[in-house]
Amino acid sequence: MMNEETEQLERRLSRQPLRQIPAEWRAEIVGRASSLSPSVKARKIETGKMPVLLSICRDLLWPHPRAWAGLAAVWVLIFAVDFSMRDTSPVVAEKATPPSPEVIVELKQQQRMLAELIGSSQPRAAEPPKFLPLPRSERVEILMT
Amino acid sequence: MRRETEIERLYDGHAQPLFAFLLNFTRDEADTRDLLQEIFIKLAREPELLAGVRDERAFLIRLAHNEAIDLMRRRGTRDRTKESFAAEANSPFAPVRDPDEKFFRDELAVALAELPEEQRAVVHLKLWEELTFEEIAAALDIPPNTAASRYRYGLDKLRDRLRPLHEEMKKAE
Repeated sequence: MMNEETEQLERRLSRQPLRQIPAEWRAEIVGRASSLSPSVKARKIETGKMPVLLSICRDLLWPHPRAWAGLAAVWVLIFAVDFSMRDTSPVVAEKATPPSPEVIVELKQQQRMLAELIGSSQPRAAEPPKFLPLPRSERVEILMT
Repeated sequence: MRRETEIERLYDGHAQPLFAFLLNFTRDEADTRDLLQEIFIKLAREPELLAGVRDERAFLIRLAHNEAIDLMRRRGTRDRTKESFAAEANSPFAPVRDPDEKFFRDELAVALAELPEEQRAVVHLKLWEELTFEEIAAALDIPPNTAASRYRYGLDKLRDRLRPLHEEMKKAE
Protein backbone atom coordinates (compact mmCIF):
# COMPACT_ATOMS: atom_id res chain seq x y z
CA MET A 1 0.00 0.00 0.00
CA MET A 2 1.31 3.36 -0.99
CA ASN A 3 1.79 5.78 1.88
CA GLU A 4 0.65 9.36 1.97
CA GLU A 5 4.09 10.81 1.38
CA THR A 6 4.50 8.87 -1.85
CA GLU A 7 1.04 9.90 -3.02
CA GLN A 8 1.83 13.55 -2.36
CA LEU A 9 5.08 13.26 -4.25
CA GLU A 10 3.29 11.53 -7.10
CA ARG A 11 0.78 14.37 -7.33
CA ARG A 12 3.51 16.96 -7.18
CA LEU A 13 5.52 15.28 -9.91
CA SER A 14 2.57 14.82 -12.23
CA ARG A 15 1.80 18.54 -11.90
CA GLN A 16 5.18 19.49 -13.37
CA PRO A 17 4.51 20.76 -16.89
CA LEU A 18 6.50 19.19 -19.66
CA ARG A 19 8.42 21.14 -22.27
CA GLN A 20 6.57 22.02 -25.46
CA ILE A 21 7.78 20.70 -28.77
CA PRO A 22 9.48 23.48 -30.80
CA ALA A 23 6.90 24.87 -33.23
CA GLU A 24 9.35 25.00 -36.15
CA TRP A 25 9.79 21.22 -36.06
CA ARG A 26 6.30 20.69 -37.45
CA ALA A 27 6.99 22.09 -40.91
CA GLU A 28 10.33 20.29 -41.10
CA ILE A 29 9.14 16.87 -39.94
CA VAL A 30 5.75 16.89 -41.65
CA GLY A 31 7.24 18.27 -44.86
CA ARG A 32 9.96 15.65 -45.03
CA ALA A 33 7.65 12.80 -44.11
CA SER A 34 4.97 13.90 -46.57
CA SER A 35 7.46 14.13 -49.43
CA LEU A 36 8.39 10.48 -48.83
CA SER A 37 4.86 9.11 -48.60
CA PRO A 38 3.94 6.72 -51.44
CA SER A 39 0.73 8.63 -52.26
CA VAL A 40 2.67 11.85 -52.92
CA LYS A 41 5.20 9.99 -55.06
CA ALA A 42 2.37 8.44 -57.03
CA ARG A 43 0.69 11.81 -57.46
CA LYS A 44 3.92 13.35 -58.76
CA ILE A 45 4.19 10.64 -61.39
CA GLU A 46 0.55 10.91 -62.38
CA THR A 47 0.85 14.61 -63.13
CA GLY A 48 3.10 13.74 -66.08
CA LYS A 49 2.20 13.47 -69.77
CA MET A 50 1.32 9.78 -69.77
CA PRO A 51 -0.16 9.10 -66.35
CA VAL A 52 -1.72 5.74 -67.15
CA LEU A 53 1.38 4.31 -68.81
CA LEU A 54 3.64 5.60 -66.08
CA SER A 55 1.32 4.31 -63.43
CA ILE A 56 1.43 0.85 -64.99
CA CYS A 57 5.21 1.02 -65.31
CA ARG A 58 5.47 2.08 -61.69
CA ASP A 59 3.32 -0.81 -60.54
CA LEU A 60 5.37 -3.26 -62.58
CA LEU A 61 8.81 -1.95 -61.77
CA TRP A 62 8.41 -0.70 -58.24
CA PRO A 63 9.39 -3.85 -56.33
CA HIS A 64 12.91 -4.08 -57.89
CA PRO A 65 13.54 -1.01 -60.05
CA ARG A 66 17.30 -1.59 -60.31
CA ALA A 67 16.90 -5.18 -61.41
CA TRP A 68 14.39 -4.14 -64.05
CA ALA A 69 16.62 -1.31 -65.23
CA GLY A 70 19.54 -3.75 -65.52
CA LEU A 71 17.43 -6.16 -67.52
CA ALA A 72 16.27 -3.35 -69.80
CA ALA A 73 19.88 -2.27 -70.34
CA VAL A 74 20.85 -5.83 -71.32
CA TRP A 75 18.01 -5.95 -73.85
CA VAL A 76 19.01 -2.59 -75.30
CA LEU A 77 22.56 -3.91 -75.68
CA ILE A 78 21.32 -7.07 -77.40
CA PHE A 79 19.20 -5.05 -79.86
CA ALA A 80 22.08 -2.67 -80.52
CA VAL A 81 24.44 -5.53 -81.33
CA ASP A 82 21.78 -7.16 -83.50
CA PHE A 83 21.11 -4.00 -85.51
CA SER A 84 24.77 -3.24 -85.98
CA MET A 85 25.29 -6.73 -87.40
CA ARG A 86 22.32 -6.34 -89.77
CA ASP A 87 23.75 -3.12 -91.10
CA THR A 88 27.08 -4.68 -92.03
CA SER A 89 25.72 -7.79 -93.81
CA PRO A 90 24.51 -6.04 -97.07
CA VAL A 91 27.80 -4.18 -97.29
CA VAL A 92 29.62 -7.48 -97.19
CA ALA A 93 27.36 -8.82 -99.92
CA GLU A 94 27.92 -5.80 -102.11
CA LYS A 95 31.65 -5.92 -101.71
CA ALA A 96 31.89 -9.63 -102.45
CA THR A 97 33.08 -10.50 -106.02
CA PRO A 98 30.43 -12.09 -108.29
CA PRO A 99 30.84 -15.84 -108.79
CA SER A 100 32.65 -16.99 -111.92
CA PRO A 101 30.65 -18.62 -114.84
CA GLU A 102 32.19 -21.99 -113.95
CA VAL A 103 30.84 -21.77 -110.46
CA ILE A 104 27.42 -20.80 -111.78
CA VAL A 105 27.41 -23.77 -114.17
CA GLU A 106 28.50 -26.07 -111.38
CA LEU A 107 25.81 -24.74 -109.06
CA LYS A 108 23.14 -25.16 -111.75
CA GLN A 109 24.28 -28.72 -112.36
CA GLN A 110 24.08 -29.51 -108.66
CA GLN A 111 20.67 -27.91 -108.49
CA ARG A 112 19.52 -30.06 -111.41
CA MET A 113 20.85 -33.22 -109.83
CA LEU A 114 19.16 -32.38 -106.61
CA ALA A 115 15.90 -31.73 -108.40
CA GLU A 116 16.19 -35.06 -110.17
CA LEU A 117 16.86 -36.84 -106.93
CA ILE A 118 14.00 -35.22 -105.13
CA GLY A 119 11.58 -35.25 -107.98
CA SER A 120 12.30 -38.84 -109.12
CA SER A 121 8.93 -40.05 -107.83
CA GLN A 122 7.09 -36.96 -109.17
CA PRO A 123 7.87 -36.45 -112.84
CA ARG A 124 7.98 -32.81 -113.83
CA ALA A 125 5.81 -32.59 -116.89
CA ALA A 126 6.16 -28.90 -117.36
CA GLU A 127 9.88 -29.05 -117.90
CA PRO A 128 10.80 -29.21 -121.62
CA PRO A 129 13.29 -31.84 -122.81
CA LYS A 130 16.74 -30.53 -122.75
CA PHE A 131 19.48 -30.95 -125.33
CA LEU A 132 22.26 -33.02 -124.00
CA PRO A 133 25.55 -32.65 -125.81
CA LEU A 134 27.00 -36.03 -126.69
CA PRO A 135 30.30 -37.02 -128.20
CA ARG A 136 30.26 -37.28 -132.01
CA SER A 137 30.73 -41.08 -131.98
CA GLU A 138 27.59 -41.52 -129.93
CA ARG A 139 25.70 -39.13 -132.17
CA VAL A 140 26.62 -41.27 -135.17
CA GLU A 141 25.36 -44.38 -133.39
CA ILE A 142 22.07 -42.71 -132.73
CA LEU A 143 21.70 -41.64 -136.35
CA MET A 144 22.46 -45.10 -137.59
CA THR A 145 19.86 -46.68 -135.36
CA MET B 1 -9.11 25.39 -47.67
CA ARG B 2 -6.43 22.71 -47.88
CA ARG B 3 -7.32 19.31 -46.47
CA GLU B 4 -5.19 18.09 -43.55
CA THR B 5 -3.04 15.14 -44.53
CA GLU B 6 -2.80 11.96 -42.50
CA ILE B 7 0.73 12.84 -41.41
CA GLU B 8 -0.37 16.28 -40.26
CA ARG B 9 -3.21 14.72 -38.29
CA LEU B 10 -0.85 12.24 -36.63
CA TYR B 11 1.68 14.95 -35.88
CA ASP B 12 -0.86 17.32 -34.36
CA GLY B 13 -2.42 14.54 -32.33
CA HIS B 14 0.67 12.79 -31.01
CA ALA B 15 3.91 14.72 -31.58
CA GLN B 16 3.84 16.57 -28.23
CA PRO B 17 3.59 13.50 -25.96
CA LEU B 18 6.08 11.63 -28.15
CA PHE B 19 8.47 14.57 -27.91
CA ALA B 20 8.22 14.64 -24.12
CA PHE B 21 8.64 10.88 -23.85
CA LEU B 22 11.63 10.79 -26.19
CA LEU B 23 13.28 13.82 -24.59
CA ASN B 24 12.94 12.23 -21.16
CA PHE B 25 14.32 9.00 -22.56
CA THR B 26 17.22 10.31 -24.64
CA ARG B 27 17.95 13.57 -22.80
CA ASP B 28 19.08 15.02 -26.06
CA GLU B 29 17.03 17.45 -28.14
CA ALA B 30 18.82 16.64 -31.42
CA ASP B 31 18.32 12.91 -30.87
CA THR B 32 14.68 13.53 -30.03
CA ARG B 33 14.17 15.44 -33.27
CA ASP B 34 15.92 12.73 -35.29
CA LEU B 35 13.81 10.03 -33.67
CA LEU B 36 10.59 11.95 -34.24
CA GLN B 37 11.58 12.46 -37.86
CA GLU B 38 12.28 8.74 -38.27
CA ILE B 39 8.93 7.84 -36.72
CA PHE B 40 6.93 10.14 -39.00
CA ILE B 41 8.89 9.11 -42.08
CA LYS B 42 8.16 5.49 -41.23
CA LEU B 43 4.46 6.32 -40.85
CA ALA B 44 4.45 8.18 -44.16
CA ARG B 45 6.24 5.42 -46.03
CA GLU B 46 4.22 2.61 -44.51
CA PRO B 47 0.72 3.94 -43.88
CA GLU B 48 -0.49 0.36 -43.46
CA LEU B 49 1.36 0.27 -40.09
CA LEU B 50 -1.60 1.95 -38.45
CA ALA B 51 -4.21 -0.17 -40.19
CA GLY B 52 -6.24 -1.99 -37.59
CA VAL B 53 -4.51 -0.26 -34.68
CA ARG B 54 -7.03 0.48 -31.92
CA ASP B 55 -4.94 2.79 -29.77
CA GLU B 56 -2.77 5.03 -31.94
CA ARG B 57 -1.06 6.65 -28.96
CA ALA B 58 0.00 3.33 -27.44
CA PHE B 59 1.23 2.14 -30.83
CA LEU B 60 3.24 5.32 -31.41
CA ILE B 61 4.75 5.23 -27.93
CA ARG B 62 5.81 1.66 -28.58
CA LEU B 63 7.33 2.69 -31.91
CA ALA B 64 9.10 5.63 -30.24
CA HIS B 65 10.37 3.41 -27.42
CA ASN B 66 11.78 0.86 -29.87
CA GLU B 67 13.45 3.57 -31.95
CA ALA B 68 14.95 5.15 -28.82
CA ILE B 69 16.29 1.80 -27.59
CA ASP B 70 17.84 1.18 -31.02
CA LEU B 71 19.49 4.58 -30.85
CA MET B 72 20.85 3.89 -27.37
CA ARG B 73 22.25 0.55 -28.52
CA ARG B 74 23.89 2.17 -31.52
CA ARG B 75 25.51 4.73 -29.29
CA GLY B 76 26.60 2.15 -26.73
CA THR B 77 27.43 2.83 -23.13
CA ARG B 78 30.10 5.41 -23.93
CA ASP B 79 27.62 8.29 -24.17
CA ARG B 80 25.50 7.28 -21.20
CA THR B 81 27.87 8.85 -18.70
CA LYS B 82 27.16 12.27 -20.11
CA GLU B 83 23.43 11.85 -19.48
CA SER B 84 23.52 13.15 -15.94
CA PHE B 85 25.55 16.19 -17.01
CA ALA B 86 23.14 16.92 -19.83
CA ALA B 87 20.07 16.33 -17.71
CA GLU B 88 19.63 19.91 -16.70
CA ALA B 89 20.31 21.35 -20.13
CA ASN B 90 17.91 18.89 -21.81
CA SER B 91 15.30 18.90 -19.12
CA PRO B 92 11.94 17.50 -20.21
CA PHE B 93 10.18 20.12 -18.09
CA ALA B 94 8.94 23.53 -19.09
CA PRO B 95 11.09 26.46 -17.93
CA VAL B 96 9.85 28.40 -14.90
CA ARG B 97 10.74 31.74 -13.32
CA ASP B 98 10.16 30.89 -9.68
CA PRO B 99 13.61 29.93 -8.30
CA ASP B 100 12.30 27.29 -5.87
CA GLU B 101 10.18 25.67 -8.51
CA LYS B 102 13.06 25.86 -11.01
CA PHE B 103 15.38 24.19 -8.52
CA PHE B 104 12.84 21.42 -7.91
CA ARG B 105 12.36 20.82 -11.65
CA ASP B 106 16.09 20.74 -12.26
CA GLU B 107 16.59 18.27 -9.42
CA LEU B 108 13.72 16.17 -10.71
CA ALA B 109 15.24 16.18 -14.21
CA VAL B 110 18.56 14.96 -12.79
CA ALA B 111 16.85 12.37 -10.60
CA LEU B 112 14.90 11.06 -13.60
CA ALA B 113 18.09 10.89 -15.68
CA GLU B 114 19.65 8.73 -12.97
CA LEU B 115 16.88 6.14 -13.26
CA PRO B 116 17.47 3.15 -15.51
CA GLU B 117 15.87 3.70 -18.91
CA GLU B 118 13.18 1.06 -18.43
CA GLN B 119 12.05 2.60 -15.10
CA ARG B 120 12.20 6.11 -16.53
CA ALA B 121 9.95 5.13 -19.42
CA VAL B 122 7.34 3.63 -17.09
CA VAL B 123 7.47 6.54 -14.64
CA HIS B 124 7.06 9.01 -17.48
CA LEU B 125 4.08 7.22 -18.99
CA LYS B 126 2.38 6.82 -15.60
CA LEU B 127 2.95 10.31 -14.25
CA TRP B 128 2.78 12.50 -17.33
CA GLU B 129 0.74 10.48 -19.81
CA GLU B 130 -1.53 9.13 -17.08
CA LEU B 131 -1.60 5.67 -18.62
CA THR B 132 -2.70 2.64 -16.63
CA PHE B 133 -0.25 -0.20 -16.02
CA GLU B 134 -2.13 -2.24 -18.64
CA GLU B 135 -1.71 0.54 -21.19
CA ILE B 136 1.96 0.97 -20.29
CA ALA B 137 2.46 -2.77 -20.57
CA ALA B 138 0.87 -2.77 -24.01
CA ALA B 139 2.91 0.22 -25.14
CA LEU B 140 6.25 -1.11 -23.94
CA ASP B 141 5.53 -4.77 -24.66
CA ILE B 142 6.03 -5.92 -21.07
CA PRO B 143 3.73 -7.68 -18.58
CA PRO B 144 1.54 -5.34 -16.46
CA ASN B 145 3.20 -6.64 -13.25
CA THR B 146 6.61 -5.69 -14.61
CA ALA B 147 5.29 -2.23 -15.48
CA ALA B 148 3.94 -1.84 -11.93
CA SER B 149 7.15 -3.01 -10.26
CA ARG B 150 9.30 -0.79 -12.46
CA TYR B 151 7.12 2.15 -11.51
CA ARG B 152 7.40 1.40 -7.79
CA TYR B 153 11.18 1.05 -7.96
CA GLY B 154 11.48 4.23 -9.99
CA LEU B 155 9.20 6.22 -7.71
CA ASP B 156 11.03 5.00 -4.59
CA LYS B 157 14.29 6.24 -6.03
CA LEU B 158 12.78 9.60 -6.91
CA ARG B 159 11.27 9.91 -3.45
CA ASP B 160 14.57 9.15 -1.75
CA ARG B 161 16.39 11.58 -4.01
CA LEU B 162 13.84 14.40 -3.71
CA ARG B 163 12.60 13.86 -0.17
CA PRO B 164 14.54 16.73 1.52
CA LEU B 165 13.51 19.14 -1.18
CA HIS B 166 9.94 17.95 -1.21
CA GLU B 167 9.71 18.29 2.59
CA GLU B 168 11.11 21.77 2.48
CA MET B 169 8.67 22.89 -0.20
CA LYS B 170 5.78 21.30 1.66
CA LYS B 171 6.63 23.33 4.77
CA ALA B 172 6.88 26.50 2.70
CA GLU B 173 3.42 25.87 1.28
